[in-house]
Amino acid sequence: MRVPQFGLRSVRHKLLAGVLLTSMAALLVTGVAMLIYDLRSYHETQVNDLTTQAEIVGRSSAAALQFDDSKFAGDNLALLSSRPGIRAGAIYNARGALFASYVRKGTDRNALPLLPETDGVHIKGETLDIYRRVVENGEILGTVYLQSHYEFYERLWSYVAIVLGVSALALAVSWLLSLWLQASVTRPILDVTGVARNVVERRDYTLRATKSTDDEIGYLVDAFNDMLAEIGRRTEAMETSNRELERQIAERSEAERALRDSERRNRTLVNATTSVVWTADGNKLFSTEQLAWAQYTGQPPDECHGKGWRKALHADDCELMDGKWAGAADAKEPFECEVRLWHAASAGYRFVSLRAAPVLDAEAGVVEWIGTVTDIHDRRHAEEEIRTLNAELEERVRNRTEELQSTNKELESFSYSVSHDLRAPLRAIDGYSQMLEEDYRERLDGEGQRLLQVVRQEASKMGHLIDDLLAFSKLSRKPVDTSGDVDMTHLAKDVAEELMREREVERVRLDIWPLPSVRGDRALLRQVWVNLISNALKYSGSKPRSEILVTGEVTNGAATYRIADNGVGFDMKYAAKLFGVFQRLHKSDEFEGTGVGLAIVQRVVTRHGGSVRADSKVGEGATFYFTLPVRTEND
Amino acid sequence: MTDYDQVEILLAEDNARDAEMTMRALRRINLGNKVHWVKDGEEALDFLLRKGDYQDRDPSQLPKLILLDIKMPKVDGIEVLRQVKADETLQLIPVVVMTSSNEERDVVDSYRLGVNSYIVKPVHFAAFVETVANIGLYWVLTNRVPSEA
Repeated sequence: MRVPQFGLRSVRHKLLAGVLLTSMAALLVTGVAMLIYDLRSYHETQVNDLTTQAEIVGRSSAAALQFDDSKFAGDNLALLSSRPGIRAGAIYNARGALFASYVRKGTDRNALPLLPETDGVHIKGETLDIYRRVVENGEILGTVYLQSHYEFYERLWSYVAIVLGVSALALAVSWLLSLWLQASVTRPILDVTGVARNVVERRDYTLRATKSTDDEIGYLVDAFNDMLAEIGRRTEAMETSNRELERQIAERSEAERALRDSERRNRTLVNATTSVVWTADGNKLFSTEQLAWAQYTGQPPDECHGKGWRKALHADDCELMDGKWAGAADAKEPFECEVRLWHAASAGYRFVSLRAAPVLDAEAGVVEWIGTVTDIHDRRHAEEEIRTLNAELEERVRNRTEELQSTNKELESFSYSVSHDLRAPLRAIDGYSQMLEEDYRERLDGEGQRLLQVVRQEASKMGHLIDDLLAFSKLSRKPVDTSGDVDMTHLAKDVAEELMREREVERVRLDIWPLPSVRGDRALLRQVWVNLISNALKYSGSKPRSEILVTGEVTNGAATYRIADNGVGFDMKYAAKLFGVFQRLHKSDEFEGTGVGLAIVQRVVTRHGGSVRADSKVGEGATFYFTLPVRTEND
Repeated sequence: MTDYDQVEILLAEDNARDAEMTMRALRRINLGNKVHWVKDGEEALDFLLRKGDYQDRDPSQLPKLILLDIKMPKVDGIEVLRQVKADETLQLIPVVVMTSSNEERDVVDSYRLGVNSYIVKPVHFAAFVETVANIGLYWVLTNRVPSEA
C-alpha cells in the first residue's frame, strides 16, 4: 500500500516541530537569562574588582602623593603587573598632572589619558577605565586611573556560541526523539490506516490491524479491529440479504418471463385455433352472450340463450352429448364428444369435437362449464378416406395374396400333373415301342427297328427334360436352408466318385484340392457339384484324357470354387446364355443334355447369396467359378 | 378273370397303358393270371370291402399284395391306402404304391399311412418291367405275411 506523503503536515513533522520549538524556546530563554546574568555579574565584578584595586593603589600611594614620591608610587603601580587583566595604570596628582604610570608590555603608552576625569567608570570598547580619587582626611591628594581589559563582547559571543551549540545538540536529540515517536506513534497509526485502506479497496473485512503497543494507540487498534469485525458482520449479513434479494428478483423475473411466454402462447393459440370457445352455467345453459358460438352456428344471440343452443346440434347427436355430459357432470370431469353442429357459413352440419371442463367452486359444485368446439369435419373426412383407402389396399393385398397363393397352388398342381401325367404317356410310348419290338421283331426290318429306337430315344429325352424342369421349378418353390455346415471337399469328392463309377478311370484325371467349407443346403450344393463335374466330364470326354481340377479359396469373406477342364470349351460371346434355362451352346447330337444343369447351378448359388461365372476359349477347355459367402459363427 | 378268390395281386391303376405294361411284366414271372385290375380307387375299395360288384367275394380270401397308383379318378390312392390301413383285416395286406409322382409330399403321406413300399414308375420300359417284376417276386413270392389274416 502506498503511504501518502503528508510533507510538513504529517504528524511526525508536527511532533518534531513541537519538540524543537519547545526545546529552542527553553534554550533561548535560559541562554539569554544566563547571558544577561553573567554579563551583568562580570561587569559588576570587573568594576568592583578594578575599583577595589584602584582604592588599594590609592591608599598605598597616598603617602607617596603626600610626599611627592613618585618613585614609590611607580613601584606601587608596578605591582599591578601581577594582574594580567590590568593593562595600564596611572596616578595623577591633585593638580591633575601625571604623577606615576604603569603600562603593561604590549600596550600603547598613549592609552593613558592626559588628564584625570572625575570618579567613575568608563567603558570604551574592550577597555574599562576607572578613575578613583585618592582622599586622605577629606583632602583630595590625586586620582588613580586604571585601565583594564574588558571582555564583555568576547564573553557575549562565547555565550551565544554555547547557546547555539546546545541548541544544535538539542535539535539532534529532538530529531532522534521524533524518530522514536514515529516508531511508537506514527507507525501504528499508519498500520491502522493501511488496514483501513485495504479493507476499503478489497472489501475484505477479515483483515485486522496489528496491536503493538498497550497505550492509547493499542486501544485505538483494538477499537478499530472491533469496528472492522462489526462492519464485517454487518456487510456479510447485508450481502446475504442482497443475494437473497437478487435470487428473489431473478426468480420473479423468470416467473414473469414464463408468464409472458405463457400468455403469448395462449394468445397465439387462441388466435391460431379455429375453436369456438363457449361457456355455460352449472345447469348447462348459455347465460352469457356467446359470440363465437353464434358466429359459427349463425344462431342469433337470443336464440342460443338458455337451452336454445342445442338446436344447432344435429338431432341424432343430442343423446350422445347428453350422455357424455351427464357422466362428466357426475364425475366433475372434462368430457369430449364428436357431434354434428350446424355451420352457418357452409349451410350444413359439420363434424366437430365438443369439449368442456367443469369449473368448480370451493364446495366442489359445478359453477360453470368452459368448452370448445373444434371443427374436425375435414379431418374426419380425411380419416374416413384413409380408412377407405386402407381397406381397399388391404382388400387388394388380400386379393393379390390369394391370387398368388392360388397361382402357387396351380403351379404346384401343374408340376404335380407334369410329374405324374406327362410321364405316363412317355412310359407308354417307350413301353409299347418295346413291346412292339419284342412281339413283332421278326416282321420288322432293320429300318423299322431303327425308327422304333428313335421313338424310344426321344421319349427318353423328354423324360429327362421333364425331370430337369421339375427339379428346376422345385428350386424356386423350396426355401433354402443355409444353416448347415457343408464340408465341400468331402462333398465334391463324393460326387466325383459317384460320377466316375460310370466312366473309364484311365481316361480321366480328376483332382480335388482341399476346399473351404461353407454353410448351406447340402442337397442343393451337392446338385451344384454334380452338374458342374458332370459337365466337365461330359465336355472333356472327346479328349484322349479328361483333365479336371477342382480348387477353392477364401478371399474377402467369400469362398470361390473353381472347376477347370480341358474340354471343348465355348465361345465367350455366348457366355451370357450359358446359365439360362434350356440354353445350350452345343448341338444335342454332340453332347447330351437338356440345358437345365447350369441354370440349376446358378439358381442354387444365387439362392445361397453367391454368384457364378465361366471363362473359356473354344477348344481350350472351360473354367467355371462359383462364389459363396463365408459366414462366421456370429452371423 | 371272374374267380376273385384266386386273386393274389390287386392292381389299382387308372392308366390302361400302365396297367397293361404292369401285367405284362408280372406275366414274365408267372404271376400274370393272379392279378385283378381295378380302374380307380372306388373299385379298389369295393373289391377289398366287398361292396357293389364284389359283395359276394369270399372274405377269407385276401390278396397277397396291393399295387396302388396314387392319382386315380373318384377316390385317389392315398385315400384307398388310408382306408386299408385303418381296417383291422386289410391292414395286414402289404401295399406297394406305384406311381409316376416323385413328389415328396406323396411319399411322406404314404409312409405316414403305413405303406409298405413306395416305387416311382421308371419312364424307360425296360426299367419299368424290371421294377414290377422285382416287386412281384419279392412281395408275393419272397415276403411272408401273417397266415391267419
